Amino acid sequence: MDKIKIGIPRALHYYYYGDMWRSFLEELGYEVVISPKTTREILENGCKCANDEMCLSLKLYLGHIHYLVGKCDAILVPRIDNYGTYNQTCTNFLGLYDIVANLFKIPLLTYNVDETHKETEMKAFIKLGMLLGKGKEQSKIAYFNSVQKVEKEKKKKRKLELEKLSSSKKKLLVMSHPYNFEDAFIGKEIKNTIENLGAISINANALIESNKNDYFEFSSSLYWKYNKDLVGILPFIKDRVDGVLFLSTFPCGPDSLVNELLMRKIKMPYLNLIIDEESGSAGMETRLESFIDILEQKKVR
Amino acid sequence: MKKGYLGIDIGSISTKGVILDEQNKIINSLYIWTEGNPIKAVKTLLHQMKNSMSSDIEIYGIGTTGSARKLIGLMVDANVVKNEITAHAIGTTHFYPDVRTILEIGGQDSKMIVLKDGLIEDYAMNTLCAAGTGSFLSSQAKRLGVEIEDFGTLALKSKNPVKIAARCTVFAESDLIHKAQVGYKKEDIIAGLCKSVVLNYLNNVGKGKKIMSPIVFQGGVSKNKGVEKYFKEVLNEDIIVDTNSHLMGAIGIAILSHKYEDGKKRTLDVADIAFETQGRECEKCSNHCEILRIYKDSKFIESWGSKCGKVS
Repeated sequence: MDKIKIGIPRALHYYYYGDMWRSFLEELGYEVVISPKTTREILENGCKCANDEMCLSLKLYLGHIHYLVGKCDAILVPRIDNYGTYNQTCTNFLGLYDIVANLFKIPLLTYNVDETHKETEMKAFIKLGMLLGKGKEQSKIAYFNSVQKVEKEKKKKRKLELEKLSSSKKKLLVMSHPYNFEDAFIGKEIKNTIENLGAISINANALIESNKNDYFEFSSSLYWKYNKDLVGILPFIKDRVDGVLFLSTFPCGPDSLVNELLMRKIKMPYLNLIIDEESGSAGMETRLESFIDILEQKKVR
Repeated sequence: MKKGYLGIDIGSISTKGVILDEQNKIINSLYIWTEGNPIKAVKTLLHQMKNSMSSDIEIYGIGTTGSARKLIGLMVDANVVKNEITAHAIGTTHFYPDVRTILEIGGQDSKMIVLKDGLIEDYAMNTLCAAGTGSFLSSQAKRLGVEIEDFGTLALKSKNPVKIAARCTVFAESDLIHKAQVGYKKEDIIAGLCKSVVLNYLNNVGKGKKIMSPIVFQGGVSKNKGVEKYFKEVLNEDIIVDTNSHLMGAIGIAILSHKYEDGKKRTLDVADIAFETQGRECEKCSNHCEILRIYKDSKFIESWGSKCGKVS
């Protein structure tokens, strides 16, 4: 019998847990099919499935699910609610399973993370393993092995990103959810534009360390986990970069509040870019070019 | 023979041209509508500028700025192609070296530049949405049946500006229709729109920024007396609007073209050059990039838009 194929959409929390899922599922003996990097076609298919209030990132997610339908036996769509009190995820992450289950006719695999109700990530993964017919112990081992592997990778990635800080070029700290900035279609163009303009981008997300989090300098009452993690790196990084680029997709709820707060408090040059489906890149280029020009002029002082 | 430097600012709504002499003084300037056709607008601009220019001036630098800067830069063989924000800052500090805050509202974008000792210290720009900019005002003017040139003067007549939501053009429009239907005077609605542009700007672009005088207000919308009045009123500060406030971008880019002069003499005779563009959607992969190919005298010179860089 062929191996069972489990599909993973390359969008949203793929950028947080993709490596983890892959490692876990492969260790348990499944074949993992990851959708390709985003293309315009994937985005367009996603938009066709979406309703008008969904954010661009969710539309991309649906486009990736659309791609996977028919190419695997089941798709992994977890429901991640929170990592404890004041560590909430965005409502899209919470509703993801139900949205996908309503829109597509394909078997779904899921797990719940809801730490305020004692549903920890480890428990969730063990349950997922057992749901797939594997033993509890085997699933637990697969989980821990995967965590270790992923942590190692993260450290490597972080080190590489930190090395960029010693560059003599203008450094732009990109404050963005990884599923936006690391996406091949929406984020890569921005990264390339920054590089073509002679500056470099620092991916804030790659710098996050889960045990270090100094978000208190900006607000003591943030409760979106992913935003909080990003804010938490600011105190230690902000004096080592020349400017901050807030990059979000339209209409992102958490970003619209958190970034607004940061813009009022950060006291250094920043640029706010909100991307939607538009295909013209002139507006974005003008903004990035002038922003980098201004950073160049500032340095002359 | 005298040397001259041409700056062209091709915006979404208007196209501006300025010729400076070697002392960076304006010898010639022109302001025309872009009307959705930058190539034609620049041809007309150059043709008219050439006819009104004294024959002892030779152009030794051309700079282009504004949203069509790349395209026109190729067409006129520019030695400097720069974004309009930088150009504006350079133009303004040339005339007002002490300026601390530049408020600028153009056709599609609005920005704020904070300076200290002639150097840029901070900066903000609207997001990609064009709410509260020149194109917002001109579409509302059309709806009200008023010429955009008369908009400001009409606004000044009002004693009771109505409240209009300017966060989004769509909401503003429904507000506006409603206010008109319940019987508010046209000038009150227009004044309300001008005020809403100011409030929208200060809330969106100016958030968290300290606005210090001297303050210069520029960009096409600065020609609107109503908006100027409400900036003064809301900020409770004096606002400088230069007679050339709409030309600052063109002046700035002309100064830059002078600074980076490459010794090559340039011509304004582009009116007869066949300059064409051809857009198409690339079918080679599922990205479907929109590729724009540019031809000068039927010869292919450049293409833009390919994400992979392999397709021209």
